[in-house]
Amino acid sequence: MKHLRLWLVAALGSLCAAIATAETTLHMFTGGQQRPDVMRKVADEYQKNNPGVKIEIEVGGATSEAQQQYLNTVLAAKDSALDLMLIDVVRPAQWAAAGWAEPLDGYLGADKAKLVASYLKAYGDADQVGGKLVALPFFADAQFLYYRKDLLEKYKRPPPKTWDELMETAQVIMKGENNPQLQGFATAGAPIEGTVCTYLVPLWGAGGELVRNGKPNLDAPEARKPFELMGRLKVAGVLPKNIGEIATDRIRVDFQAGNVIFAQNWGYFWNRVENDADTKVKGKVGVTTLPADKGGKSATCIGGWQVAVSAFSKNKAEAVKFARYLSSPEVSKTMAILASNLPVFPQVYKDAGVLKANPWFADALPVVEGAKSRPVTPRYTEVSDAIRSNMNAYLAGTKTTDAALADMKSRLGTIYR
Amino acid sequence: MPLKRRTIVWLAGVVVAVNGFIPALWILATSLKSETELMSQPITYLPQAPTLANYLQAFTEQPLLAFLWNSFVVASLSTLLCVLVSALAAYALTRLRVPRSQLIMAALMAVAMFPLVSLMVPLFKLMRELGLLNTYLALILPYAVLSMPVCTLVLASFFQDIEPDLEAAAMVDGCSRVGALLRVIVPLSAPGVFTAAILAFVNAWDEFLLALTMLNRLSMRTLPVGITLYQGEFAFPWPLISAALVVAIVPISILIAVFQERVVGGLTAGGVKG
Amino acid sequence: MTRKSLSERSLGFLLLAPAALLLLLIVVYPIANLVWASFFDIHLAEPWRGEPFVALENYARAFADERFWRSVATTSIYVVVTVPGALLVGLGLALLANLPFRVKWPVRLGLLLPWALPLVFSGLIFRWFFDYRQGIVNDLLARAGVDALAWLTDPRLALAAICIAIVWKSSSFMALMLLAGLQTIPRELYEAAAVDGATRWQKLVSITLPMLRPAIMVALIFRTITAIQTFDIPYAMTGGGPGDSTETLAMYIQKTTLDFLDFGYGSALATLMFCLSLLATAGYLRYTRRSARREDA
Repeated sequence: MKHLRLWLVAALGSLCAAIATAETTLHMFTGGQQRPDVMRKVADEYQKNNPGVKIEIEVGGATSEAQQQYLNTVLAAKDSALDLMLIDVVRPAQWAAAGWAEPLDGYLGADKAKLVASYLKAYGDADQVGGKLVALPFFADAQFLYYRKDLLEKYKRPPPKTWDELMETAQVIMKGENNPQLQGFATAGAPIEGTVCTYLVPLWGAGGELVRNGKPNLDAPEARKPFELMGRLKVAGVLPKNIGEIATDRIRVDFQAGNVIFAQNWGYFWNRVENDADTKVKGKVGVTTLPADKGGKSATCIGGWQVAVSAFSKNKAEAVKFARYLSSPEVSKTMAILASNLPVFPQVYKDAGVLKANPWFADALPVVEGAKSRPVTPRYTEVSDAIRSNMNAYLAGTKTTDAALADMKSRLGTIYR
Repeated sequence: MPLKRRTIVWLAGVVVAVNGFIPALWILATSLKSETELMSQPITYLPQAPTLANYLQAFTEQPLLAFLWNSFVVASLSTLLCVLVSALAAYALTRLRVPRSQLIMAALMAVAMFPLVSLMVPLFKLMRELGLLNTYLALILPYAVLSMPVCTLVLASFFQDIEPDLEAAAMVDGCSRVGALLRVIVPLSAPGVFTAAILAFVNAWDEFLLALTMLNRLSMRTLPVGITLYQGEFAFPWPLISAALVVAIVPISILIAVFQERVVGGLTAGGVKG
Repeated sequence: MTRKSLSERSLGFLLLAPAALLLLLIVVYPIANLVWASFFDIHLAEPWRGEPFVALENYARAFADERFWRSVATTSIYVVVTVPGALLVGLGLALLANLPFRVKWPVRLGLLLPWALPLVFSGLIFRWFFDYRQGIVNDLLARAGVDALAWLTDPRLALAAICIAIVWKSSSFMALMLLAGLQTIPRELYEAAAVDGATRWQKLVSITLPMLRPAIMVALIFRTITAIQTFDIPYAMTGGGPGDSTETLAMYIQKTTLDFLDFGYGSALATLMFCLSLLATAGYLRYTRRSARREDA
């Protein structure tokens, strides 16, 4: 009898406590490598300032694709288990179309215009689909040209502005160094997302566009340029022989070991090759915009992650509030200092604390400002698959330029019907 | 045994062992290396400067122990369920006069062999409707089905071999049918049950795709999925992952080493007859 | 019908009930969902298109889809190479493992370890073994004076590398089944044959193999069904590349359903794959029954 009474009191007590706090719990999904530990700190700070809100961080798969496939399964089932998600920059169009992301215009009201204007343009644009803002930029990313400062100085060559210059410089250095392990230029070649950029960057540098007026633009002469460029680089021995199996991080590892002259890679690269304990290239790394064709304008591939609110969330208002907090200059500064994430606000690049932690951000800003979106379409995964598998096939030598373009044309044709 | 024969036997053993152990040994060696050493040319086989740092990092960077526990729970419980259900079915089909038992057996197998991978989306929806997502049951039930064909087959061939009228004899002595089942058949089938259990356990321990979909809270993840979490969007830290892999393989290797006699024996006694 | 046989039948169905229930829940109901979905046009990323009923259009699309046929061809290559391959290697390993060892467990463990290693990781490990620069295969070739081969970027070499990995992994389970079978063969048969002057080869062909036939058939069925569903190893080793030359049907289904969110089409493909598996199993069963009848005759 005594025990029963104790139980009842305890039960009632916790019930009252639960009602009293009336806590909202927000579930946020992030990927294994978006620094969930730093996110936790940011979330704790928010919880302190917003009693009554609890943030639970759910950590997903390590790659953008693994995360997306999991989210596909969850959202296809209209599950309300997640309130906010961190999504890749190529997803907003798909999410908007599928009705998975809650449009934020209503919640932002008059603030929307000011908020969007405060971001780096390309990143603000990437999150607007059909005039609606479907996600908020969280951190930026882009592809940079990294190079061995010391080798370029040794051979008295300036950082290349055109692809031809890059090829020449690489050849001169490779001949001079006479090191069989040295690769002239490394970029993604395996059938992964990064390989889409291996095609798009030279295309844009030649003034080309993948899609014009809603239709694939692959008959234009520029469409051949990326294949021809890679072909020239391969024949000249500037590209490594096994380019068809090179994935993003492999480039970093090879560069870190001192075996690469030029590398096309994302923002995470810098920190690793400069600061890893076993790096052989500390202090020897330069970063600049990617080359273009002679007379063309350098463009880089946009990257980065956005905060989206689930359309099936049961706590939308609170979620939007938290999303706005995440997508703010203060948090951007925290992420830049603690996680070396590139900010989406231009002024943060010039912040003293941020620059102290990441001195290369001063060089990064102009590159990031020149970022262009990968094709914006709800069927992006199919577009990406068409581009990357053909570029991969070309690099592996199993398809000619004509065959690759023909396949791309037919596949993109059905998508952009 | 003459020397020549002994050498041949010894060599044969080495061939089999080496074939099986090479990747395991390679993972072990890699887990003791640093990433730079792994990427250096020419490649090294034995670690030049062995370090246990990867193991430390493996446990601290991800909740490896939680992964181990989750795998253990899911594998054990699904094995229990699978063996139980398969045993009942196998018994019914081989020792009771059930009409068209061959057809039922074939149907059972055919259905159970449907690629669970293609059922991922409908299965996910089902688990969500049942409110089982992120619970152990969401994996225990599919895993039981996964191993049902193999377990049923093993147990069926096992039961077929037991003296046909044993239950009848026991019942003549005054047992009920169920009593005969429990007191006579079950003890006799222990080896077969054992084998079926190990087969089911290994299948469950190693499964990846369903575990990825059904249990996605970090603390609930099973080992195979958890290990892929060490990789980054771009990075694949081989030495770190190798350390985690060693931790993952050791329990199951011990299990197999200890019970390998029983596993083979169980299949033998049943005389894998199909 | 006596009371006894009636209750026996009821007991039988009662005992079958749990298995049936489990299968109904986990397989039949989702399959029904899947096949039902295959008759609709469902593009999750384009909900404004609705989900119109299209009857057999998805299946017609599959028959006209080059990539589908390519994936079927690639899958067939894997099946045709790795099923006999695993059988041969498994048989060899089983015969070796059947020799009288003083200390059995290291051999048995070596035999079974590949089976215990999760598929995903076997794939990743072999990806590394066949790496152009850091892989041990090219390293061993270099030590033998042969030039490094572009294993994973040449379509034919990639297929070979993947087959090697699959055979290594699956021969382990085969070997287990066959070893069990080997141990049931009575020693007297071999002794009698020895008396008759049979060579080791003759013993193998006229005693071992025929006695192993049931074990071989069971192992082959399981191996074939799994081979038709090949996913993890090629996915880990090449991601389907170069191009899509190593992509299997299961990979194409996964990509279509979970990546492209084309549920209707993906469901149709999955149903087709199931039909293929059914055909294979039926084929085996017919062969076993026919040869069993031949033996009895």
